[in-house]
Amino acid sequence: MNLILRPHRAWFSLWRRDSLSAIGLTTLVVLVLLGLFGHYLPIGDATRIAAGPRLAPPSWRFPFGTDELGRSFLPRVVLGIRATFLLSALAVAMTACLGTLLGMVAGYFRGATDQIVARVADVLFSFPALLIGLLIAAAAGPGETSAVAVIAVAALPLFVRVVRSVTLTLSGRGFIVAAEVAGASPLRIMGVHILPNIAGAVVVQLTYALSIGMIIESALSFLGLGVQPPDASLGSLLRQGSAYLTFAPWLALSSGLVLSAAIMSVNLVGDAVRDALEPLQGRSLT
Amino acid sequence: MRFFLYALSTLASGLVTLFGAAALVFASLRFVPGGYADILLGPFATPAAREAIGRRYGLDEPLFVQFLHWIVAMLHGDFGVSMVTRRPVIDEFLRRAPVTLELAVLALTMALAVGLPLGVAAGVAPVKAKRTLLARLVGAFGASVPDFVLGTILIFVFSVWSLWLKIGGFAPFSEDPILNLRTMLLPAMTLAVFGAALIVRTTRDAVLRVMTEPYITAAVARGAAPWEIVRRHVLRNAAIPVVTVVTTYFGFLLGGAVVVEVLFSIPGVGLYAYNGLGNRDYAIVQAGALLAACVFITINMLADMLYAVIDPRLAASGAR
Repeated sequence: MNLILRPHRAWFSLWRRDSLSAIGLTTLVVLVLLGLFGHYLPIGDATRIAAGPRLAPPSWRFPFGTDELGRSFLPRVVLGIRATFLLSALAVAMTACLGTLLGMVAGYFRGATDQIVARVADVLFSFPALLIGLLIAAAAGPGETSAVAVIAVAALPLFVRVVRSVTLTLSGRGFIVAAEVAGASPLRIMGVHILPNIAGAVVVQLTYALSIGMIIESALSFLGLGVQPPDASLGSLLRQGSAYLTFAPWLALSSGLVLSAAIMSVNLVGDAVRDALEPLQGRSLT
Repeated sequence: MRFFLYALSTLASGLVTLFGAAALVFASLRFVPGGYADILLGPFATPAAREAIGRRYGLDEPLFVQFLHWIVAMLHGDFGVSMVTRRPVIDEFLRRAPVTLELAVLALTMALAVGLPLGVAAGVAPVKAKRTLLARLVGAFGASVPDFVLGTILIFVFSVWSLWLKIGGFAPFSEDPILNLRTMLLPAMTLAVFGAALIVRTTRDAVLRVMTEPYITAAVARGAAPWEIVRRHVLRNAAIPVVTVVTTYFGFLLGGAVVVEVLFSIPGVGLYAYNGLGNRDYAIVQAGALLAACVFITINMLADMLYAVIDPRLAASGAR
């Protein structure tokens, strides 16, 4: 409740307990707001060519400099934040739903269903994400849809494995057996009794999958297999900037640093969530 | 005997996974809209050319038969022919494999050298200690800065101040070991940062989990020296999750670190597969993905057997 009524208090108490997570949470909120509403800010037009000199260094007018077409780079980075977060969040959210469902079904029904689902997860897990990216780009062509598919393939086994193993240990517990004896249908058991108990594990996995999804999306865009020009993602901006690395390093550095900060904020928030859900206590050895 | 049975079941499930991976790669290029001939020839192909391709690759046969032919050909070492050079793809991959292997081994060594000691040190320290913060920072930083960002920054720094290390101009280890190391250290470092983060996080978690076990309390109560407790009780019991991430990480590295190889122009299998895509030479992409999965699955099978050596209870219970 405190979190909703008095967010600043909740923030300060987090800051006192764990300043690293507080920094991560703040960065994440700022970046997501920038991604959602940044294009309303008076920071210039992302698409206007020759708004200034070409490859100009950072200045008051162009805080991140200008690119090779004289476009102001800051609004382009804001667009990139939007694309990177949106694409990976979309892909991870879809994958989380599917993976949770599959993992629950496998862990609850066991037997042949479990074998098949676990095998499929193993198969998907055995490909490095970027080689799947090359394969999908070869089959369906590069683009945003392909990037979403690659993230889904890479993230699905993460959800299936965790949900399956938690469900396996849950389904022998007394309250599940009691529900079965009372005649509850499998659908009801999974939805009402298992799902609330695996939600924590799913949320933890969600943050890691989101950070991995952002890495994959930006890596694909960096290789030219993800977001295509004239659209921009942080990875494609870095690709564009790295061509002028020696003359205009601010292009590559600004997009690279913003991207790293974005991924790090997701990771730090994920750590905080995990610490809250399953705290690991240390102890001294003397 | 128990171990033998355990190894056999590991092998069997590995083969099933491998079969699934092969089916996926096969399907990925056969079930696309337009079909294989369209991918090979592009949109402006004449019907005659289509038919010729169809006959050459046996596309007029039922899918299942095609799949069988494909599998049998691969078992004979035939992974297809490059459409550009007309040479067997597998030869090209084998020629480049040592480069990727060297890169992977270098990166893994660096990652382990940083990750293991820091992870164990942070795991046995109280949660508020300085090294815990350091471990969390290394973990968060390494898992967050993508390899191409780090690589770009390193290229920028080292292209301004050369500092002995070199970017590009790769030479094989057998010809010029010194030059080879000068070109390989930066890419290996770029890859190692993520691995180090992975290993720090996993090791710290595993050690923290072991530390709450009753036998650690017992050892502390007996008055055993801290180092002795770590060596005899903690390391072995915390080893399995660490072995899992190390083998996973190594398996992915061996599949070809596409981004880093492209960025630093390291002529390994990842760069070859990437260039194959650029040349629309899809046999290379297909073989690259499949070989990466093969290597990964093999490494994982070995890891599964290693688990049973580390913890004999696993083989005894038959659990995986």
